[in-house]
Amino acid sequence: MDLVTLAIAATPAFIASAVEFVEATTIVLAVGITRGWRAPLVGTALAALTLAVIVVTLGVALVTVVPEKLLLGVVGTLLLLFGLRWLRKAVLRFAGIVALHDEEEIYRREVAQLRSQGLKKTEWDWIGTIVAYKAVLLEGTEVAFIVIAFGAKGVAAMNAAIVGAIVAGIIVTAIAAALRHPLTAVPENWMKFGVGAMLSSFGVFWFGEGIGAEWPGDAASIPIILGVFLAASWLAARMLRWLLPEGARVEARNV
Amino acid sequence: MFSALRGIWDNTYGLLVDDGQLAVGAIVALAITWLVASSGTDAVRENAGWLLLALVVVLVVANLYRAGRNARRRIS
Repeated sequence: MDLVTLAIAATPAFIASAVEFVEATTIVLAVGITRGWRAPLVGTALAALTLAVIVVTLGVALVTVVPEKLLLGVVGTLLLLFGLRWLRKAVLRFAGIVALHDEEEIYRREVAQLRSQGLKKTEWDWIGTIVAYKAVLLEGTEVAFIVIAFGAKGVAAMNAAIVGAIVAGIIVTAIAAALRHPLTAVPENWMKFGVGAMLSSFGVFWFGEGIGAEWPGDAASIPIILGVFLAASWLAARMLRWLLPEGARVEARNV
Repeated sequence: MFSALRGIWDNTYGLLVDDGQLAVGAIVALAITWLVASSGTDAVRENAGWLLLALVVVLVVANLYRAGRNARRRIS
């Protein structure tokens, strides 16, 4: 696979993973700045190791053991469920019905909570390690899922998805380390909206392939499917604005 | 350990299901498409992907409309 093809194949996993890394980085930064860096870095490294084991065992098993048609059907189903969830939430946020994800607020809350727990200088900071481990593992589970889903088409796709996720992790971590501040400037909702539409499109495409449907131009249909999702979401956001011109800012689980 | 496993399970479930009705609706759309593709003619099977796309788009718009109505009811 040449570099350009690899970059194109890795882009969906890169964008989707970057959103998750931003969220994990906010928590690790909060731990590092309030309690010192050793413990959260160890927690992060342990979580990364756990995730690597999950991706390698599950990903390789899926790609090599499960029959292709069944795999496409299962992965298409999972991608569709996962993508629709992101798409729905992003549209509700654009329409002002659900509040936007606020990294700054999450960071402040986390810092206050960590400071209230105190720190003894002589002991290993287990709280810092566990908080960082949990944050990276939980957000990273989504990254692992994204990598496995985008990589399910075969070994080359799996490699591209892994590269995309790793590059996203390196870039987000490097920027956060340089700024020492949560990445509030990242347009998270736009990214989630785009990724939600993209994952849903891949889900429809692969499930279709799994049940024997023929797509005109094969993968060239994906941009058309994506366009349909984007247009429908835009219409839905307009409809919600018409229903609730002032927005609502209610909890996502209440709508 | 138990809480970590519970956290992983909650997160994995949360990965796929945010709104139960949307998730169930998507599964029903997938099932309808699979049934139509497996019981129809070759031409029907070959075009089943577009049926799935249409079902899912209608589902998303209807689900968001319902969410908007629910939110309006909550704040009024």
